[in-house]
Amino acid sequence: MTNRSGTIDSMQDQTTSTNGIGSTAEVAARYGLHRVGTRPPLREYLRQLWSRRQFISVLATSKAYARNQNNYLGQLWSVLNPLILAGVYFLVFGLLLNTRGNIDNFVGFLTIGVFMFGFTASSLTAGAKSITGNLSLVRALHFPRAVLPVSIALTELATLLPALVVLCAIVVISGETPTWSWLLFPVAVLLQYAFNTGCVFVAARLVVASRDLLNVIPMVIRLARYISGVFFPIAHYVGDNPAGALLEYQPIAVYLELARQCLLAELPLDPVLWAWGTGWAVLFLIVGFLVFWQAEERYGRD
Amino acid sequence: MTEPALPREMDFEADQQPGQLSPTVLGDPSLIVEDLHVTYRVYGGRRRSPGAGRSTWLGRMLNKPADHVGAVTEIPAVRGVSFMARHGESIGVVGRNGSGKSTLLRAIAGLIPATRGTVYVSGEPSLLGVNAVLMSELTGERNIMIGGLALGLTPQQVRERFDEIVDFAGIGDFVYLPMKAYSSGMGARLRFAISSAATPDVLMIDEALATGDAEFRAKSKARIDRIRENAGTIFLVSHSLATVESMCSRALWIDEGLLEMDGPAGEVCQAYREAVSAPKRVASTTKA
Repeated sequence: MTNRSGTIDSMQDQTTSTNGIGSTAEVAARYGLHRVGTRPPLREYLRQLWSRRQFISVLATSKAYARNQNNYLGQLWSVLNPLILAGVYFLVFGLLLNTRGNIDNFVGFLTIGVFMFGFTASSLTAGAKSITGNLSLVRALHFPRAVLPVSIALTELATLLPALVVLCAIVVISGETPTWSWLLFPVAVLLQYAFNTGCVFVAARLVVASRDLLNVIPMVIRLARYISGVFFPIAHYVGDNPAGALLEYQPIAVYLELARQCLLAELPLDPVLWAWGTGWAVLFLIVGFLVFWQAEERYGRD
Repeated sequence: MTEPALPREMDFEADQQPGQLSPTVLGDPSLIVEDLHVTYRVYGGRRRSPGAGRSTWLGRMLNKPADHVGAVTEIPAVRGVSFMARHGESIGVVGRNGSGKSTLLRAIAGLIPATRGTVYVSGEPSLLGVNAVLMSELTGERNIMIGGLALGLTPQQVRERFDEIVDFAGIGDFVYLPMKAYSSGMGARLRFAISSAATPDVLMIDEALATGDAEFRAKSKARIDRIRENAGTIFLVSHSLATVESMCSRALWIDEGLLEMDGPAGEVCQAYREAVSAPKRVASTTKA
């Protein structure tokens, strides 16, 4: 009775004895069985993802809330944290190093830079681990895996919202008066959010392919922090250098600049830059999603 | 004392004799597993041969770099399993710890990708486990919503079943506290209550019945029976042979990632029992 074989033969005996002839795939098709663990077609995958939209938003808001739950001040930290960070940067770059260049309202300039760069940086940091950090969830339940990176990017957006209120307050205190261009600020935030989501897709897949990349991501973020004009105006320092265009039109620099154009009166709206911002967002979102979807059936293996 | 009329007293594992299992008409195939292989990658360690510790210092020097860089061990957890299941079957999976039972179920459920081989299934297989992930820093209430949505319920459906889930888990007002404040039994009960809130086509139960007190086990058996009537095929991983014999018509014995035996639950359990109690056999198969 001990049949250690566990081979196809024994199983095909079973199938052939009941159904006559045919390969396993044919037998499966005859009884309406589908293959487990295959990647659904793109359209179907998008539909599945859309049907889980409430799961995504509940997961995102819960995580955002849980983040600041472990101390007495609780949710207040989602405002205090960026505030203190802006203070630190002002001390170093406003007072000690003075990198203000030709900017009049450097407090506003710097605060917007710090807050908006932090948005992308934290999305990337958290999102890179969206699969490897949730393996037990991936191995326990069935859902399109894109739910995880999408919800993590959304968590960061939800965390950013209270900070944005603080940001606007600081900008007003620093001497700006709200104008019509402020209405475009949410658009700039959404474009950056779309870009972040695309980045998270790519980072999550790369980290699944090789975990060692998790150690490289902080360096990438550090580099981006220094070349994206978080605390200095790029144009002022680069001048006419041809490499300057590269620095000015790379996505993160574009999004920081868009936010500043919305909120600071001294920087006028530049349609070309907005086109760049939109283009980067669409490009990263689409490419990132495709890159992530291509490995769908591989997530969960360790 | 195993009088069925006394549900509080009864031992869940001994309440039903194999003969009492309701006869089920075997239907069409609901699941086909063909030559399934699953290999784990484990980071940060390397499996050594027993003699490695006694090697010369030169050997250790040469081996050393490899122990700390690129230390990835591949563990073949399932090494070629094939079988077919039909609608109306309840199948027990038995085997020693680490023999690949849970991995096999997860691969069948599509939660762990197969390294080789294919699995065909009808509908969406669902894995019912006490290890379904919940977020310990959030309240039970929030976790019920997250778990329910993850299972594919709508928020409306989760709200409708909320009271039932809380009742079933028997945690009362603790549901409004963060789950890290729960006792391990309370957490396990809530997880089970959540994960059994939706009824799937192919149901896989991974040791879910081992948790909880006698009352909870009686309750969960009732719930599983209800699910079993609706679900086409049931898989049950358990170390309790009595449970497998009482609930399953057929059993698979998995040993070291291979299908050791496949047949009627009584026969397989008997053979497994004999193999485990035979000291010689144990010595030959339990390697570290």
